[in-house]
Amino acid sequence: MTPGWDPEDLPEDAYEDASGTMVRPYTVTRGRTAPERDDLTLITVLTTVEEPLDEFGRPLRPQRLQPEHRLILDSCRRPLALAEVAAALGLPVSVTKILLGDLVGLGLLTARAPLSVARAAGGARHDLLAAVRDGIRRL
Amino acid sequence: MISNPTAPSAVKILVAGGFGVGKTTLVGAVSEVTPLRTEEYLTTASVGVDDLAGVSAKETTTVALDFGRITVSDELVVYLFGTPGQERFWFMWNDLVHGALGGVVIADTRRLETSFASIDFFESREIPFVVAINCFHGQNTRTADEIRAALDLDPHVPLLIGDVRQRSFGKESLLALVDHLMSLPAPA
Repeated sequence: MTPGWDPEDLPEDAYEDASGTMVRPYTVTRGRTAPERDDLTLITVLTTVEEPLDEFGRPLRPQRLQPEHRLILDSCRRPLALAEVAAALGLPVSVTKILLGDLVGLGLLTARAPLSVARAAGGARHDLLAAVRDGIRRL
Repeated sequence: MISNPTAPSAVKILVAGGFGVGKTTLVGAVSEVTPLRTEEYLTTASVGVDDLAGVSAKETTTVALDFGRITVSDELVVYLFGTPGQERFWFMWNDLVHGALGGVVIADTRRLETSFASIDFFESREIPFVVAINCFHGQNTRTADEIRAALDLDPHVPLLIGDVRQRSFGKESLLALVDHLMSLPAPA
């Protein structure tokens, strides 16, 4: 027992999981609850690198990937947004971000950030809006 | 980050409104895929009134997002996100507005007050939006002016009235948003 630590101090519901699921979702991240990068967003587009090379230009053979990692690499042969990957895996967005961060870090996945459209940063460009309008009209 | 110039860029449009007002219905009516669902955990300092000790507890909530997509071209995809029902969580969720062109607030004339929080959210975040009044079964007993007054809408915010189950109304609402965005002056 750690000195000064008393389990009685914990609130009664400390062990309850608000999500109600039986498998703790951060199991697949080996307990990590925060991604190593904070630049992945719901609509960051991810694409699997077809023939990944290491820093010396040799083919990269990733070791110790988990099944979820391999599922992601299969799914992202066609570019997918982070939210789409999360939906396909059936995992929460925050858990998916950690797994995607692993693969981006290993050089197995590329990530494209969303376009900057914030009003404070000047808003969306006119040609972008025109393209969006054309796309909606074609529906 | 390794960038990939051949992957499409993405933007999003948020579809907001009170519970059961037809957010996912509108997303589904215009999306090229059946709406997908994903979840996120959000942690917030609890504002519970039963917190007698005065110690701020943390509260974790699971919020569900339904979303669809419109592929504009090989270079551009628009994602439509139905915002989760509990508006008080949106404010801590910066990712929700990241890359958001604008919003469509769906309102139901029988309970307009359920849309106030969505309107407040977009106004406070300076995200342009339009209001789409959903008339279930074509029932609408109020004029556009009455609705504007009840929602305290700025005169320049577009207001549309229709049935969110119809793809044509979803398209009309999204086009009204894009036209609205194009008409806005560049921010100072």
